[in-house]
Amino acid sequence: MNIAVCVCQVPDTASVIGFVDGAIDLTRVNDVMNPYDEYALEEAVSLKERFEGSIVTVFSVAAVSAKEMLRKALAMGADRAVLVSNIVVSDSFQTAQVLCQAISAFYQQALPDLVFCGKHSTDFQNGQVPPMLAEMLGIPSVTGITAFHASFESIQVEREIEGGLEYIDINYPALLSADKGLNMPRKTSIRAVIEARKKTIDLFYATLCENASVAMISIEPLERKKICKFMHSEKELIRHLNEEYSFF
Amino acid sequence: MNKFLVFLEQREGIVKKTSIDTWNRVQDLAALYGDSAVFGILAGPVDLQQLCASLSGKGVIYHASNEAFRLYNPGHYARLVAETLKLEACTTIFFADTVLSRDLAPKLSLHLKASLLSGCTIFDVSKEVCVRCVRPVYSGSTIASFVAERSIRIYTILSSAKLFHSISEDYPTIIPLETCRLTGIEELFPVVRRMVMYSGRQDVTEASIIVAGGRGMGGSEGFVILEQLAQLLGGAVGASRQAVDGGWRPHFEQIGQTGKTVAPALYLACGISGTPQHLAGLGSGSTVVAAINSDRYAPIFDVADYGIVGDVHLVLPKLLDALHEFLKRK
Ligand SMILES: Cc1cc2nc3c(=O)[nH]c(=O)nc-3n(C[C@H](O)[C@H](O)[C@H](O)COP(=O)(O)OP(=O)(O)OC[C@H]3O[C@@H](n4cnc5c(N)ncnc54)[C@H](O)[C@@H]3O)c2cc1C
Repeated sequence: MNIAVCVCQVPDTASVIGFVDGAIDLTRVNDVMNPYDEYALEEAVSLKERFEGSIVTVFSVAAVSAKEMLRKALAMGADRAVLVSNIVVSDSFQTAQVLCQAISAFYQQALPDLVFCGKHSTDFQNGQVPPMLAEMLGIPSVTGITAFHASFESIQVEREIEGGLEYIDINYPALLSADKGLNMPRKTSIRAVIEARKKTIDLFYATLCENASVAMISIEPLERKKICKFMHSEKELIRHLNEEYSFF
Repeated sequence: MNKFLVFLEQREGIVKKTSIDTWNRVQDLAALYGDSAVFGILAGPVDLQQLCASLSGKGVIYHASNEAFRLYNPGHYARLVAETLKLEACTTIFFADTVLSRDLAPKLSLHLKASLLSGCTIFDVSKEVCVRCVRPVYSGSTIASFVAERSIRIYTILSSAKLFHSISEDYPTIIPLETCRLTGIEELFPVVRRMVMYSGRQDVTEASIIVAGGRGMGGSEGFVILEQLAQLLGGAVGASRQAVDGGWRPHFEQIGQTGKTVAPALYLACGISGTPQHLAGLGSGSTVVAAINSDRYAPIFDVADYGIVGDVHLVLPKLLDALHEFLKRK
């Protein structure tokens, strides 16, 4: 089985997003693999362990420095990695287009049996790339899955919706995006890290065919700080919440 | 003339509160712009009485009551929305920001060659730039605004922190779409075989009041009182990741960077320290935050409007009693 996994980098959660002269400053940011992509990768690797002869390839559209992250993906059990860093994409649509090019070229116009993505990246939280990519590849997709059961013929997944759960059937080839709860990503061993050094990271050169469909026109720090009024009793709290906001 | 199309999402025949909220906000938007018309598209059999009781404002709602639309099918849904858009020559589609719209809207945006802006918390309306979508990014540390570059636009909107909406005198007309065609290429779509709704549970993304607990609740038993509080207030129980990873609460209650983004009117944080990853889940600046924590210097108090310093196991029973008392007298 051919399994593709799309991964991206995000600032780790301890990073400080700075601003210099009103512009965003990401120089003090430490990039890590998007947490949702770890669930995607884990699912792909554990599937490979069940279906002998499977090959897991990770794809990423990112700066050259993302090789570090791809090494981690290889250490987690991916077999090959493809990095696209010759262009800078500026929205989900372009990201999906570039991924589509890279995947199509890699599998020589055939399709992988499965594509896994993370539900969304934790920085912009759009979650648009997975369904767009599926559409471009012409395969069905389910976003945000929390359970995955596959046989050679068919796939059953579960997805949490607001206040409930959907049980979904889908045929190969398919794209699935992973939500938290799908699995527990493995820790990489030292040995796996050393092994990963021997695996290859291919560079793919993509071309941008269309303009971005969305533009970010401003970004600024979000001031969340408030002045907390400390209450001396529960009754006082209720009184405030009711008098000032009529919540109850 | 601006023509807005609002997608009304139903589950088990009930139109979602977040969709109704979206409809109302689009009504406000149309009023602000002037010279605008609002259309709705509703897929699947629904309780029309419930719908009519909760929707107001001028407009036309197309209703495809066909059984085939009862459960979500991306192919059928995309086709239905696209055809309605063309029928009324609408240029903008609004969805409530839900699991369904996050699945459907990106696909639809490709069919329609539209710009897609997801998870908008505020619209900033100024005549020149049309609708700007404003929302927190980078775990809520920054706020960004986005605009569409294409002439057809799709927005998914996070439920607002507003509790009340001005009800207008007008009511929309509902027009049945009896004979809508379904797309033939079935094998290309995932099929929802079964849907199970947890009864009596309000989802955190739809609740006006959230009573959330963290590690400070001490264990799953600690959440019993939060459930009682939530029930009394008609709200939902939420949890920090610590409470979820500890197995005390289900994942769908998790709020934060790797959980849900919520925008309730009131957020009561109990035994939650207030890390950036948790606060990333509070999507709206207009949410009133009340915190109970034994540590006077817990960061949650920096973002709270009200605070009580104390042990949750002592404070919460008193709060519950006082609320019972208060509601009885009211
Ligand atoms: C990649 C990544 C993603 C993450 N995503 C999320 C996410 O989506 N959501 C999330 O919540 N976290 C997330 N986290 C985890 C986050 O960093 C914190 O670990 C978590 O939010 C802390 O949960 P907590 O506040 O319940 O626990 P703690 O930080 O341990 O805080 C417990 C608080 O309870 C107080 N307390 C203890 N006992 C009592 C008592 N008896 N009475 C009153 N107060 C008491 C303490 O003073 C303390 O402030 C993520 C972390 C990472 C690395």
